[in-house]
Amino acid sequence: MDTETALNTAEEILKPWTRSVTIPEPNRIVISISRKDLKTGIKALLDAHWGYLSCILGVDFPGNPAPQPEEKMWERLNESEYISPSKPEGMIRVHYVFCHGAACVTLRVAPHYSNLWVPSICDLIPSATLMERELMEMFGIRVEGTPDTTHLLLPDMWPDGEYPLRKWWKGLDQELPESELVD
Amino acid sequence: MEAKPKPNKFVVPIGPQHPALKEPGHFEFTVDGEVVTGASVRLGYVHRGIEKGTESRNWVQNLYLLERICGICSHVHAMAYSLGVEKLAKVTIPPRAQAIRTLAAELERIHSHLLWLGVAAHEGGFDTLFMYSWRDREVVMDLLEMITGNRVNYSVNLLGGVKYDITQEQVDALRKGMDFLEQRSHHYLKVVTTDETFLGRTRNVGLMSFDQAELLGALGPTARASGVQRDVRVDAPYAAYDLYPVKLITDPRGDLEARFVVRINELFESYRLVREISANLPAGELSVRVPRRIPEGEVISRVEAPRGELFYFLRSTGLDTPDRIKVRTPSMGNWASVMTLTIGQNLADVPMILSGIDPCFSCNDRMVRLLRPGVTQTWSWEELRRFGIEHYK
Amino acid sequence: MDLKLDSPWQKVLNEIKSWARINSPWAIHYNSGSCNGCDIEILATLTPRYDVERFGIKLQGSPRHADVLICTGPVTLQSRDRLKRIYEQMPEPKFVIAVGSCAISGGVFQGCYNIVGSIGDVIPVNVYVPGCPPRPEAIINGVVQLLESLKKK
Repeated sequence: MDTETALNTAEEILKPWTRSVTIPEPNRIVISISRKDLKTGIKALLDAHWGYLSCILGVDFPGNPAPQPEEKMWERLNESEYISPSKPEGMIRVHYVFCHGAACVTLRVAPHYSNLWVPSICDLIPSATLMERELMEMFGIRVEGTPDTTHLLLPDMWPDGEYPLRKWWKGLDQELPESELVD
Repeated sequence: MEAKPKPNKFVVPIGPQHPALKEPGHFEFTVDGEVVTGASVRLGYVHRGIEKGTESRNWVQNLYLLERICGICSHVHAMAYSLGVEKLAKVTIPPRAQAIRTLAAELERIHSHLLWLGVAAHEGGFDTLFMYSWRDREVVMDLLEMITGNRVNYSVNLLGGVKYDITQEQVDALRKGMDFLEQRSHHYLKVVTTDETFLGRTRNVGLMSFDQAELLGALGPTARASGVQRDVRVDAPYAAYDLYPVKLITDPRGDLEARFVVRINELFESYRLVREISANLPAGELSVRVPRRIPEGEVISRVEAPRGELFYFLRSTGLDTPDRIKVRTPSMGNWASVMTLTIGQNLADVPMILSGIDPCFSCNDRMVRLLRPGVTQTWSWEELRRFGIEHYK
Repeated sequence: MDLKLDSPWQKVLNEIKSWARINSPWAIHYNSGSCNGCDIEILATLTPRYDVERFGIKLQGSPRHADVLICTGPVTLQSRDRLKRIYEQMPEPKFVIAVGSCAISGGVFQGCYNIVGSIGDVIPVNVYVPGCPPRPEAIINGVVQLLESLKKK
């Protein structure tokens, strides 16, 4: 299947649950989907043997209430969904990227800070557990139903509530305590 | 309480684990008798916070940071990043530069596979093979040093092209090197497919079926050794792979032996590619200018690292620093598949199975927690490895 | 019985111990979070071309039998305590060789949130071998310098 056909096939498969489609590059489509439809959409792709899960990644879009860095960053943006005074609340976009040959299809959900959870896809794709663990510890998103909630990358003694990949996180305020094995 | 290892006999420390000794384990295996019933992995010993670090460095500085995610595959990281940035900047790279990038990538694949061959052999107790393959690997290291000036972290890439050119003299040296390595690799293939002791530890061990490989998202040679036709160089050619196509190497058997065979066959393919590219370098410039501020956009850059598909997501908001860079290494995809694989296997096979995915070899000191009913033991990787060797004696 | 030897005997014993250690130091290698670049060059020193074992240096696995700790990496927070513990498990006298730019100052990772930076901030270091990564010859040079300084004592 060539790239264009692959993308069209995926778009067809996901049509019932698609909220919007963006085309950032010739070989990619990004499908905005709601959290309750996410697993149905993924299952449809898997049933059609369309590609494999390549990555789960998060991008933080902090809202206005959070402290602003240099003003110029906001001036340059022209994406309406990013930050605007009418949408003060922050959100985190979670991308589920599936690849088939050169074609990449991203299913994208965007939970807001006030309701920060996504469903786990581990019952569909067991190997997603590592990526979901990373998502949880780096962004503080709750992944409902994920089998393993322990840290993947951050140290054992990492304090709760510190999410390094949030935009406004600048570092730990305190020294990490020593782990108990040193006596 | 640890028992001192007696010569020629390995004594497993028995006894209830001291509850305060929460040794952070890289791996945790639940074991029933000698069979693994549960497995989980905990990375984090090498977590440096690079993704966050990229947000406070400019696009050029990040090239040098991202190269050092992994010393073994540093070039592919830099290449994936450069290709992504060049896509964002909508800049076309001269063909000579793409060809040199591809050449360096194949040389890196050769060095990485030979390195892995030695390390995996060492895990199984075949130290002679380790010594031979690393001695031969020095040929590739010399070639890389000749072209780029360093043995590791070659830094070939610039945003916009490459730094170094290849002279005719170097082309001749490359050809000689490939001839020597090819002859040696035939020998390795023979050892790996005919040596009784070796086969005892690799044939029908760590079986992963085609369906399992697909579902678990296995990548690279690990997937190809189960018959899955997945190779970014073939599926989505980047750099100069459209000019110099790659043959997809697979093996249907899905066991450890297949993983050895696939990687050695990939070596032959890489030798062929190096000869072909170096003899047919397109003429032209080495680099083009890339603006300091990279235009807005989001790109995905996928390349085939020696271990599998390397995935880069780059997001720019038009500044001279990136907004978000996500790196998903191939080992991330392979760990999950392999941890699932170890279930049902003998504990003695675990070191070889884990090495079979070519994980970012590192800490000789990975700690392994074994959960037996009622008792938790902590072994060092060395102890687990020797347990495997002893079991097969 | 109080086994306190006369000072000349003690000196002889020390010299024998020193000689044994210089001629055959047992080394242990630890990666505190490096990219593996330095580690593969350290491992390369064992291979036939550089063959560090002909100098009597033996790389083995347990801290309890080691004289020298060869350490790489910018010390991630997770590996910091394990590094300290390995150092504490080593019997006196013990020496530390920090290999690579990351081990000296954090290298390119300076400022990243999950690292301490310098190995010297965690345990005392005797020899620093700079490079990214240092060549096997440079690493062997570092070890030989350590042995030379032991001889002087």
